[in-house]
Amino acid sequence: MSTVALRWLHRNLFAGPFDAALSLVVIPILVWAAYAFAHWMLVEAHWEVVGGSLKVLMTGIYPSDQLWRAWFSVGTLCAMFGAGLGLSVRPGRAAVAAAASAAAVIAALISAVIDLTSGMLTAASTALGVAAWVGIHHSGLDQRVVLSGLLAGVLAIFVVLSPPGFEVWGGLLLSVVLTIAVSILTLPFGILLALGRQSRIASLRVISTAYIETMRSVPLILVVYWIWIIVPLLAPDTSVPSLLRGMAGYALFFAAYVAEYVRSGLQAVPKGQIEAARSLAMSTWTLNVDIVLPQALRVVVPSLVGQILDIFNGATLVFIIGLTDFLRAGQMILADPQNSGRTYEIYVFLFAVYLAIGGAITYASRRLEAHLARGTR
Amino acid sequence: MTTQIAEYHGITPVRRRLRIASRWLLQAAIVIVAAALVIWLGVAVREALARKGIQFSFGYLGNVANFSLSEGLVLSREGSWLVLEGFSPSHSNLQALLAGLWNSLKVALSAIVLCTMFGTLVGIGRLSTNWLVRNLCFGLVECVRNTPLLIQIVFWYFAVVLRSPPANAAANWFGGLLASRAGVFFPGLVIHDSAGFASWGLLATVFAAAAACVVLRGRRSRLILLAVTILALIATVIVGFPLGLDLPVATRFGARGGFALSPEMTALLLAIVVNSSAYVAEIVRGAIESLPKGQWEASASLGLSRPHTLRDIILPQVFRIVLPSLANRYISLTKDTSLGIAIGFPDLFNVYGTVSNQTGRNLEGVVIVMLTYLTLSWIISASVNAVNAHVNGRGMR
Repeated sequence: MSTVALRWLHRNLFAGPFDAALSLVVIPILVWAAYAFAHWMLVEAHWEVVGGSLKVLMTGIYPSDQLWRAWFSVGTLCAMFGAGLGLSVRPGRAAVAAAASAAAVIAALISAVIDLTSGMLTAASTALGVAAWVGIHHSGLDQRVVLSGLLAGVLAIFVVLSPPGFEVWGGLLLSVVLTIAVSILTLPFGILLALGRQSRIASLRVISTAYIETMRSVPLILVVYWIWIIVPLLAPDTSVPSLLRGMAGYALFFAAYVAEYVRSGLQAVPKGQIEAARSLAMSTWTLNVDIVLPQALRVVVPSLVGQILDIFNGATLVFIIGLTDFLRAGQMILADPQNSGRTYEIYVFLFAVYLAIGGAITYASRRLEAHLARGTR
Repeated sequence: MTTQIAEYHGITPVRRRLRIASRWLLQAAIVIVAAALVIWLGVAVREALARKGIQFSFGYLGNVANFSLSEGLVLSREGSWLVLEGFSPSHSNLQALLAGLWNSLKVALSAIVLCTMFGTLVGIGRLSTNWLVRNLCFGLVECVRNTPLLIQIVFWYFAVVLRSPPANAAANWFGGLLASRAGVFFPGLVIHDSAGFASWGLLATVFAAAAACVVLRGRRSRLILLAVTILALIATVIVGFPLGLDLPVATRFGARGGFALSPEMTALLLAIVVNSSAYVAEIVRGAIESLPKGQWEASASLGLSRPHTLRDIILPQVFRIVLPSLANRYISLTKDTSLGIAIGFPDLFNVYGTVSNQTGRNLEGVVIVMLTYLTLSWIISASVNAVNAHVNGRGMR
């Protein structure tokens, strides 16, 4: 062993008698646990249950002959993700491009093992994402153009996926689409609430505050369930799909949280700027849209990205209104007596996917924070 | 000067008055619109219910529930006494909701205590000088915070609790703790009927002396109180100890005796404690890192060891800093107990669902449940604020 490694060991694992004892106890346990887990993963686990039910996990009961719609959405999502990366990551980050292409290769390989067409489609989608990343990077497009492009992408996904009916949306696709739609819906509503809470008009302030505080102190599941129940009572003649009612519930709930984040951003805008704008006789609208909000939102972008993780994690609660999201799809597979012994395989897979997506969102939020901090200091 | 500026912007007294009037009009308009919205909502819902033949009233709360809950205690009247007893289908709907609230509170309060303890430990562990401890804690926090709470609850229930050995072959730790798929069994306290007045009095003395020992300062008085405690304890044992330990026993038909946690409660509690501990850990870590580094250096130069510094210098200050964030965490944790519905734990939200399915009264129920959660949040933040004022009030800042 080299001296560097020895020094590392000494400093980190055997610094004192207590550390040494702890290391000697914990390391063998860890090694044993890692060995047991690896043995289970590679030898004992029957992964064909995951492979065999991948369609259900990913899209729920979406009709098989309509799956091209799902693939279109995956492609669009990849392109949007690539465009988002292109916007937020600084040029010269070859590592990101390398990671993206590695991800494309791995995704293609994994899905090729299961099914050749889906492997090719996955690779194509990821390639689209990389292309979007490169394109946005080098074209110098205006941010507003890209943002409206992203909105158009979300709309396109909705339009393309909807013909078979909202009831058949399911699996990971439902979780992701729901998360994106709710994230976008909450933003304007949350900003309005935040402005209302800071407003000089007392009644507006009281109403916004009451709304925010009420939503923040009741559980999400209650709000979603309640909106689901109340919509048919308010509109008895039309039947609004569960998915849209669920989205409304999520949007109403998370808007209160977005409002609090935005409010913290509003407080970060120096008061002198507002006074200066007022002394220039700017109207409240111009003041907010042109001076306050751009700066406030810039500060809270990392928190808003973190909020997307909360929405994604909260999207598992749609089981209460009878929708089949990713977690529910996994549970449905386990409900089949044929798969009853495969509890660990399914849950490990679900955990891994949730962890990967959650980790990516957290990482993005941290990077953005560092990126923004570099710009301001 | 002021008049000059006013004239420059063209604000004459008349226009200023107009502006004030328009502001008042705006206020009134907002209030009217909001009120109209609420009234429209109420009327529309009422009409919809009337079409279904349901009147908005809370009378249904007194009706007999006609369903059973797997667990939950209610206060009920027995003669002239109020007694706590298990919920049964002959109780009223209101009693059912109270049993649900009891279950929610049971989980929430235990989770608050446990996650504060574990979370603080993990938070300190994340800053440990030991590489292993630091990274294990980091891994735990990252895994927990990046996955949904619901999958954690479902995982603990279906993949851990329901897959542990059956009660007759239960894992038995330390002789008194049984972990099985029928739940967890702890040793419980039982009261011996034969115990006389004298032994109860002696036991009360033991507790009083021990409590005083904790509260009182001063070496001498503490020593005396300790001696009193021990003497009273010995006397109690001689006279006849009124309390006994009831160890759970695994039999062929399941475990018996002791104090039992149902499998649902075990899973929900485990999931929420692990989840909240990760968040508490981040709060504690942030607070420790926010303290000036000079404090560590100063105490090191005074010859204090790292654990000693942590215990006597860092943690007391951390406790003051983290209180507001902990209040938020406690409120989310209390709301999170509503996810128990996914594994069939009869918490407040679950019972509300059952009651409203049986009676068709969703709206009255939602008003009750919402008000209950609002009250709980308010109580938690008010009590933490009170502690905060108490801790930070005396000569701080």
